[in-house]
Amino acid sequence: MSKAVEVRPMTFYPEVLARIAPDLSMQRHLSLGLRPSLRASEEFRNVEISDGKLSCASKETVNRSGNNILGSNVLKCGKTMIVTSITGGVVEENVPVEQDDEEPALENSDADRASQFGCIYPVVEVECGRAGAPTDEEMTLSQRIYNCFLHSGLLSKEALKVSVGVKSTNADGQASIQYPDEKDSTDLAKSFKPRRKWTYVLYAKIQVFSRDGPLFELCWNSLIYALQTTQLPRAFVDERTTDLKIPVSMRGRSAAIRETFDILCDPVKFQPLKLNAENISFASNFAVIELDPEAQLPKDDDDMQVDSPTSVLLADIQGEAEEASVSSIVSVVTGTAGNMKHFKAIGGDSKITLDMIKKSIKLAKLRSSDLEGKS
Amino acid sequence: MAKEIEISTSEAKFLIEALRQGLRSDSRKFEETRDVGIKFGKDYGDVTVTMGKTKVHCRISCNIAQPYEDRPFEGLFFISTETSPMAGPQFENGNNTGEDEVLCSRIIEKAVRRSGALDVEGLCIVAGSKCWAVRADVHFLNCDGGFIDVSCIAVMCGLLHFRKPDVTISGEQVTIHPVEEREPVPLGVLHVPICVTFSFFNPEDAEENIKGESNNEICLLDATLKEELLRDGTLTVTLNKNREVVQVSKAGGLPMDALTLMDCCHKAFKITETLTDQINEELKLDAESRNKYAALLSSENARVS
Amino acid sequence: MLFAQTGVLELVDGSCKLQCGETTVMCSVTGPIEPKARQELPAQLALEIVVRPCRGVPSTREKLLEDQVRGVVTPVLARYLYPRQLAQLCFQILESGEPEELYSSKELSACINAAFLALVDAGIGIQASFASVCLSILEDGQRLLVNPSQAELIESRSTHVLALQLAAGAKKVENLLLLESYGDFDEQTLLQVLQTGEEACVKTALELRKVIEQKLQKDFVWR
Repeated sequence: MSKAVEVRPMTFYPEVLARIAPDLSMQRHLSLGLRPSLRASEEFRNVEISDGKLSCASKETVNRSGNNILGSNVLKCGKTMIVTSITGGVVEENVPVEQDDEEPALENSDADRASQFGCIYPVVEVECGRAGAPTDEEMTLSQRIYNCFLHSGLLSKEALKVSVGVKSTNADGQASIQYPDEKDSTDLAKSFKPRRKWTYVLYAKIQVFSRDGPLFELCWNSLIYALQTTQLPRAFVDERTTDLKIPVSMRGRSAAIRETFDILCDPVKFQPLKLNAENISFASNFAVIELDPEAQLPKDDDDMQVDSPTSVLLADIQGEAEEASVSSIVSVVTGTAGNMKHFKAIGGDSKITLDMIKKSIKLAKLRSSDLEGKS
Repeated sequence: MAKEIEISTSEAKFLIEALRQGLRSDSRKFEETRDVGIKFGKDYGDVTVTMGKTKVHCRISCNIAQPYEDRPFEGLFFISTETSPMAGPQFENGNNTGEDEVLCSRIIEKAVRRSGALDVEGLCIVAGSKCWAVRADVHFLNCDGGFIDVSCIAVMCGLLHFRKPDVTISGEQVTIHPVEEREPVPLGVLHVPICVTFSFFNPEDAEENIKGESNNEICLLDATLKEELLRDGTLTVTLNKNREVVQVSKAGGLPMDALTLMDCCHKAFKITETLTDQINEELKLDAESRNKYAALLSSENARVS
Repeated sequence: MLFAQTGVLELVDGSCKLQCGETTVMCSVTGPIEPKARQELPAQLALEIVVRPCRGVPSTREKLLEDQVRGVVTPVLARYLYPRQLAQLCFQILESGEPEELYSSKELSACINAAFLALVDAGIGIQASFASVCLSILEDGQRLLVNPSQAELIESRSTHVLALQLAAGAKKVENLLLLESYGDFDEQTLLQVLQTGEEACVKTALELRKVIEQKLQKDFVWR
């Protein structure tokens, strides 16, 4: 005679279930009309931002000497904290040969859109207690931010041009720096036309602490906030070094080599970085997930007639359970007026419908105006 | 993944036995090379070279850079020979530390760059501050032996085919003229080195390695992948049309008769001659196809010789 | 517009050389093969994707391309068929056809199409066919171009890459696999891109099917 075996269903705490079966945990939550993060499906997380007060131009900065940070931002969203710092340098441009006193030929015709824009070089670091070569995620994030920034037209090449000042020493031995566009500049600064041109290059270091979901949107938003606080230092050349040449000779040949690094940055005078305000945009992401009818919790009889949707749109992906069980993602970078700068949809296992695209764009616009109000 | 290709014992024995009887699996003679095919792309400096089934693509590009501080009058020249799993699963991506890969890139480096095949002084624009940096990217597409020989041909064809944009210098200001605006200028190629690889087999057992009277090693030209896997020793000589030996590489393996070296060089010179002629012929055909109206538009007067 | 040839390489399981306008890519597929321990997935086929640039060394630009191709290929592959195995997809850009430092759209769309042909050539199971096109909208915001030329691309206000999963003999659109847009555009434009892109993708898919047809005729010539 065999003994009856009693099969008892296993039960897990929600946190345990989220780790061992993220799909199931997700589906169960959704059938309750909630997400594992206990947010509603179209609810975004709050974002807190502050000027990092790290930049050397910031009034509240602590370390002023030797500080080369030009703009900064700290962004907190849920558990994740992002610190963006903007640094920069000055490089010399290849200047076309001017024929007599003609205007220098335009390097690029107006039709070539992307080459009118300046760009920044972002480096994303996701801190997770390891050192070494950057991970694939860090590399793709950096490149995506770079692409998106370049084509957004947020920064024109013009805004990165250096208007060079001259440092001159008068008879008393007192040095002064004058810039051509300042009111009290003397004739010297106005008449001084350097034969070379310089431009600023900007680097953005984006550090991510306690990663909790996709990062592109948070990094992008933090970068935009940081650039809005960025101040570029004025740059000048010393009157005496403007035409410094060093003779070299080698194997019977000789030439005069010009000293390259004779441009200096002013430690006290700054100019705000000019951004094209109409192109300021903010990013938000969405997930599309299909509801698995078998994983739904049993419903009361009253609800039986209600035709529930087959898939839902979730705003602002957060947490392991959501990220692991979602393969269809929509990411939108848009300005408040609906002028989009970047759109990415990856259709994984769930189908992305036209309505969902429309809805996510609508929500992204709202989110963008909300985020813009914070800066 | 990055696993060596294994050749079965029966196949290995068959191939060696065939060699002993004077036969090669692709019915070539011992001293017969495979035909080389050279195909130029649409852009300058884009060339695909095939030799049998081996296929290599080479792309030359250039940009403006700053010269090295200790060599202010010289431009920069880089050759990159990175393998990828495209040439076969035995190659690992991003890991070019394998013995064969290192040897291949070293020999190409020696044959082309260190032999001064490219006039780097001609790449100087403004001494000490601006020069051209030319790079040759060699992409291995299909591997059936002879990578060194084919890569060398590909790099040299690319360099001969490439045109860099014209520049105007006035003092320290430099204008780069786009290709549409001014006819681009060719690079200064001083000589065309050609690599020829010999493979040695020892059909007797290992004791015969210590050479005595019965020196019956087999010497093959232009080995295929299978022959490369089985060979006991290899020798790569690089020559140019001026009968100059540019580089000789014999990295271990089967010891060879010193006199064979001279013999190999003579054989290699014949190949060098035909290949150089072929390269020049292909370049001429390509130039003609690019410039169909040159004869028509020429303003040169007919001259009486 | 689109020229492709399969089976061009010897030592890999599947290969294809695809030319789309000014862009040419070579794609090779090796698999299913034994993976390294760190690549192995217990229940699915692991993917190793390598994109190699036409000139210079691979950089973050190529890493992003790899990530994008992975996003497209992963959902369509029948990955459950090959647990604890690996497929290597290797792309070599032969002609970029666009200014590489500014764009990568044409390369991406060519890579996706080449991946489809090479996967079929390798005989790795896929659940649906897919095709991709690159679209751009000129500065005036009016003209929408399918697979623009280099000159058209740099004049464009926005660029889009669309990849669709197709069914029913590549006539019906089943799902959106990738839509990636950069530049300056609005919702209306995006919807227009989707509509025009859909037709163009179907057209491209039919051309790809023709290539496969030729391949089959060649492969089974002894029958």
